[in-house]
Amino acid sequence: MNSQSSDSASTQPPAFYLPDFCATPTVLAVVLISELVAIVLTLARQELEHGFWIDLARTSLFLLWVGLSSATALCYTRPLLARLSVARASAISLALPVAVTLLISEVTYWLGKTRFDGLEPGVASLFPADHASFLLRNLIIAFIVTALALRYFFVAYEWRRNVEMKARLRIDALQARIRPHFLFNSMNTIAALTRSNPSRAEEAVEDLADLFRASLKETRGRIPLKEELEVARIYQRIEQLRLGERLKVSWQTDALPMRTLVPSLLVQPLLENAIYHGIEPLPAGGTVVVSGERKGDVIELRVSNPVHDQAGSTPHSGNRIALDNIRERLELAYPGRARVDVASSATEYVVTLTFPLVEPTADAVE
Amino acid sequence: MKILIVDDEPPARDRLKRLIEELDGCECAGEAGNGTEAIALAGRLAPDVVLMDIRMPGMDGVEAARHLSRLDEPPAVIFVTAYDEYALRAFEAQAVGYLLKPVRKEKLADTLQRAARLTKPQLAALAREAAPKRRRTHLSVRMRGELRLIPLEEVLFFLADQKYVTVRHLGGEELIEESLRSLEDEFAPDFVRIHRNALVAARHIASIERSGEGQYAVRLRGHAEELPVSRRLATDVLRRFRG
Repeated sequence: MNSQSSDSASTQPPAFYLPDFCATPTVLAVVLISELVAIVLTLARQELEHGFWIDLARTSLFLLWVGLSSATALCYTRPLLARLSVARASAISLALPVAVTLLISEVTYWLGKTRFDGLEPGVASLFPADHASFLLRNLIIAFIVTALALRYFFVAYEWRRNVEMKARLRIDALQARIRPHFLFNSMNTIAALTRSNPSRAEEAVEDLADLFRASLKETRGRIPLKEELEVARIYQRIEQLRLGERLKVSWQTDALPMRTLVPSLLVQPLLENAIYHGIEPLPAGGTVVVSGERKGDVIELRVSNPVHDQAGSTPHSGNRIALDNIRERLELAYPGRARVDVASSATEYVVTLTFPLVEPTADAVE
Repeated sequence: MKILIVDDEPPARDRLKRLIEELDGCECAGEAGNGTEAIALAGRLAPDVVLMDIRMPGMDGVEAARHLSRLDEPPAVIFVTAYDEYALRAFEAQAVGYLLKPVRKEKLADTLQRAARLTKPQLAALAREAAPKRRRTHLSVRMRGELRLIPLEEVLFFLADQKYVTVRHLGGEELIEESLRSLEDEFAPDFVRIHRNALVAARHIASIERSGEGQYAVRLRGHAEELPVSRRLATDVLRRFRG
């Protein structure tokens, strides 16, 4: 297909996972982490009754310097880091505190050597005697603690992002599926049929129930393609009652592997858009084509509708919500391996979904 | 009370028709599937009330109501809609009001009663209010008590005379009671002012030619006559069409 405007479901680069180190809560967290590390180090070195507090105070002073200086460094470099790739930014975020530790260790050593050398033994003992060993130990500790902290920030960020995305998807899905216009028009049709054609009204109620059941299923659920197409056909039946002759749908889906598992509600929202934006504005109606085929180990699904000539070129917001929703759900189901392409010309509007074929044995129906 | 039902969906029309037949003193005078059909029928049937769907193919209900208000005996238009929050907002101040699908029989009866009490000037005022400043797809011309619609694509130009504006279109020429100014506001940039008294459809302009010293004239596709461009507007017109 000749696609004029296409955009694939690529993930935008995620915002950097490190928190803002200039913010008060983060500074507090840095202080707490420094103190905890100080306590751990002191506990490992000293008996509780012999010089514990002195040692803790000394270690705390040193670690607070390291912690707060690192936080300052990260605070200033964060805007720069956010523009880099995650791996590179992580490497720099790891290197910065280690470098700060090195610097402060060096200063500490030289302070002890030049300023306080030859003072009474009590004070002198507060400073390290062995230069190389002091630096090496501090570097290793800084490296491990920073790596652990970064890992923690990364996991916390990913978790939060995941929760937010799921919540948003759920809301979007509800908006995209139960379009009020469709619901009330269907109710109106059923009200009309109740007396003129009660058996048809009964079927319409059954169809509506099936459709809503399908739309209320768990977003992440995967269903066989056959079922997904069936839901779309139910939707078509309801709209057919309302639009009569004006709506024609051509199903060219026989070549598709019907047992493959797909995220639910991929096709129905596309059909709904095609009818709402394509068929309804046309006085004489038109034909929506739903077609699909297997190409190697990917599946291509297409929904196309005629375009109303003076509808203007502004894409409808309802249409965009539905497309964004499908794009996000495909991305969640097949990260980086699915695409949603839109091609629109003066006469036709075509949406193409491309996603990998999943054999039904790969994972069971949830 | 004669009622005209306008809706593009047959089941929706059937239901309204049945509800009307169950009300005393009401009869369904006719049914239309979109705005243009509604206007043609309204002229012939002279209904008291039009039950008008908003979202319809071709001409929508809001524009149809605006044209209907220009009839000598304008019907009361009651909008009937499934769910159209934007449109509803515009009608909230209206006295005749709107009905939501599926329509309740009691509500329909109430609203019809209210519509029957309205006087002609009130109806005209309501129709003006109901139609927000949106561009129309057609112009309407009154002819022997009926409305004739001219699709905007077929309009070649508007020419202002002393009191009236003449609209020249592919099918002939009519007089309309609208000012050139308001037409320009509504249909720009598809129509271009080339003279104090002339507004021309951009899509029908074939060329702009020099017709004397510093004088220009617009030639229209498939038309022999030329329209003069005023000196004051010549630079604007030339810039737009010669790039």
